[in-house]
Amino acid sequence: MNLPNYFLADLPPEATLTAAMIGEACQTLKRNREQYVAKRSTQSLVNTIAGVAETWLQPEFPIRKLALDNGPRETRFSRATITTGLDNFFKQLTEENLNALLVQELGHPQRLDAMAANSAEQKLNRATMASGPEFLVHIAAGNIPNPALMSIVLGLLVRSAQFVKCASGTSFLSRLFAHSIYEADPKLGACLEIAEWRGGHAVLEGALFAETDCVTATGSDETLAAIRAKLPLKTRFLGYGHRVSFGCVTSGALAGFNAKKVVARAATDIVAWNQLGCLSPHVIYVEHGGGVSAEHFAEMLADELKRREEVEPRGELSTEHAAAIASRRGFYEVRAAHSPDTRMWCSKNSTAWTVVYEADGRFQTSCLNRFVYVKGASDLTNMLHGADSVRGKVSTVGLAAPEDKVEELATQLARWGVTRVCPLGQMQNPPLLWRHDGRPALGDLVTWTDWEQS
Amino acid sequence: MTSELSNFAARLREFIHSEGRAPRGPDFQIQNDIGDSCNSSLRDDGRLNPLALELFALQFAHNTAYRKICEARGVSPKTVKHWTRIPAVPTSAFKELDLTCLPPHQRATVFHSSGTTEQRPSRHFHNAESLAVYETSLWSWFRIHLLSDKLKLGLQPSATPVGVQASACGFPGEEHELAILTPPPIRVPHSSLVHMFDVVRRELGAPDSSFMGELTGDGSWAVNFQAAAAALRRACKRQSPLVLLGTAFSFVHLLDSLAEQNVHLQLPARSRVMETGGYKGRSRRLPKAELHALITQHLGVPPSHIVCEYGMSELSSQAYDGAIPSSGFRVPGSGSAFRFPCWARAQIISPETGHEVAERETGLICVFDLANVFSVMAVQTEDLAARRADGFDLIGRAEHVEPRGCSLMVA
Repeated sequence: MNLPNYFLADLPPEATLTAAMIGEACQTLKRNREQYVAKRSTQSLVNTIAGVAETWLQPEFPIRKLALDNGPRETRFSRATITTGLDNFFKQLTEENLNALLVQELGHPQRLDAMAANSAEQKLNRATMASGPEFLVHIAAGNIPNPALMSIVLGLLVRSAQFVKCASGTSFLSRLFAHSIYEADPKLGACLEIAEWRGGHAVLEGALFAETDCVTATGSDETLAAIRAKLPLKTRFLGYGHRVSFGCVTSGALAGFNAKKVVARAATDIVAWNQLGCLSPHVIYVEHGGGVSAEHFAEMLADELKRREEVEPRGELSTEHAAAIASRRGFYEVRAAHSPDTRMWCSKNSTAWTVVYEADGRFQTSCLNRFVYVKGASDLTNMLHGADSVRGKVSTVGLAAPEDKVEELATQLARWGVTRVCPLGQMQNPPLLWRHDGRPALGDLVTWTDWEQS
Repeated sequence: MTSELSNFAARLREFIHSEGRAPRGPDFQIQNDIGDSCNSSLRDDGRLNPLALELFALQFAHNTAYRKICEARGVSPKTVKHWTRIPAVPTSAFKELDLTCLPPHQRATVFHSSGTTEQRPSRHFHNAESLAVYETSLWSWFRIHLLSDKLKLGLQPSATPVGVQASACGFPGEEHELAILTPPPIRVPHSSLVHMFDVVRRELGAPDSSFMGELTGDGSWAVNFQAAAAALRRACKRQSPLVLLGTAFSFVHLLDSLAEQNVHLQLPARSRVMETGGYKGRSRRLPKAELHALITQHLGVPPSHIVCEYGMSELSSQAYDGAIPSSGFRVPGSGSAFRFPCWARAQIISPETGHEVAERETGLICVFDLANVFSVMAVQTEDLAARRADGFDLIGRAEHVEPRGCSLMVA
């Protein structure tokens, strides 16, 4: 199918964006918002979003087919990886989950529609209403598509006009999602703009930032600092910077025949979006004393990644990214030749997957694209000691532990500063209610009006 | 242990000397394509192969750390029949291991990799013999790329071994200036680049004061702008050609300083510039074309007289991307491909498959340097390049954060 030219990102590659085009797009978005969504009910928005998500899950939905057919060329993810990633995302977008999100974030499902009070507020004779930004800009890093899609959903819920600025070459799936919204509800789609350019374009970004009252951004800490420096003081800035994640396998989880299952879950987290998200594990820590040693776990994980490559291939990499993997492999090959404390398993004649076992428990930042470290540790305290260098930067810990231990471990992780603990195998599949970097999902977007009734 | 290696080193030096003079002799200047002349010797696989295999066998025998890497790959001199199959060690291994055939008491000199962000540098050990090979190799290829036009002015081809009668290779009958924008070797004894510049200085018979860089308090390199400006002005006043050598970032510092003072010089005709190396966070980054344009703008040296060098502390030979006209050397079909001398080979390796890439494709540079006699001949770099005939277009360093962790040196 051919998509109509609704969005700036639909323009042919030779089209040059100008500040005037951006300015005009901003004005149109604001006008459309005022006209079409500012006074729309939350429930109708929830229905539309859930409806769009449902269509995405239907195999014959033309936009889905386009995403899967052209995705490998446009995004370098394999068809299987895109399928899994998108299905996991859209399965979350149900009416029930969206309503639960509104209650979690705002304390009342109608908070965005009118003055509303839950029972505690009623007792205090007060009601409150929350309003979203008029014009919300998202600066999307583009390493994986989900964060931009989620940002769009959140922006729709708070009734903002939205401009999604994608890193160059990464707008494909955001564009398709926007088209699916446009197709389902053109008025809603008319409050959305998707464009892409290489970050740091002062002219275009100047035009954009002059119009917005709230900017969300994902990217490196340097990118965020640069964006923040360009924003007027009155503009709210929500930055989501560099975060890392790791897996944690306790000895109790490896008893009996469980090891194979746990290994498969770890592989799921590594394979999902080729490990490129902040929620993907760089390291899998394995506690000593279980049925399987860390070194053996690494070997099993290598076998599993080899098997996954056959059903869910990683896809092609740029030479630069392949070179990063090749250089790291060279480094560890040399180490492994000189010390039994390091071992490496990797795909032959490709950079498709790599597992490095190290006895040294210090956290290692991976070069990603299915390159993972496995490290041993005596217990969780010891793991966290090893991860001290990234303390405060850890997003997710994927946990494999016996049920009676999980709560204690989760509490310990929370005290240490981890913002999300989930079962291993679910790291790159956060629920809709997830608080990004521990911050409120909608709560950071809205502004409250408190009404003290008497 | 090293008598065989010493013998190899001596033969290689003799060979490199003969490369410098044999087919050309006094008519050196008439031959205007050094690349072709090298084709007649080690550019030929048939001649390179036995030497490479011989050196591999020696290094396998005498370099314990290297042997372990080979054995882990299941490769030994018995199994290798072609030089392209000789195991290359990554440059990162020079940080971890003593990759040398020299016993500890013979490691008189050590060159470290540069860079401000590295946790620990590469270490390339040398003794007197090893340094002699390095010096012979570097001078021969430097001279061809930077100084071959001088031969027209009566400069003798370097028939003398390097380090002997240095003035014989100078510019007899012509006044010239040499300016080097790095600190002197006494301040940075572990820099292979500065050692190279010092060899050039000696060969040209220039004074110690040719070094115009300084070491700052935090260990970084700075240009002494006063000294540099004085040398530039002196060359202009005397109308003697200037040979100006430095790193890319030292040129950025110098040019920024000249720009601040709004200085535009016109260095005498036949002045030349050699720039090398990445920026490593030491100055703002400039695309090569922009840097060269600024050099032309502020120093009056035309692009034809600006040559880039590619080298590293782990190697003993360097590649250049062209030469001062009259040597006329260019890789056919490529404006600025880098090329090693015929005693070293660059292969561009696909990081994905580990095989050599096709013409014009991009991969990682792997260098087989026969002049690395006492360390490891085959070195896998982390630099990306596009293959161009038997040369390459340099693209840059692969994005690679060096892993943390304990050093194997203590293991």
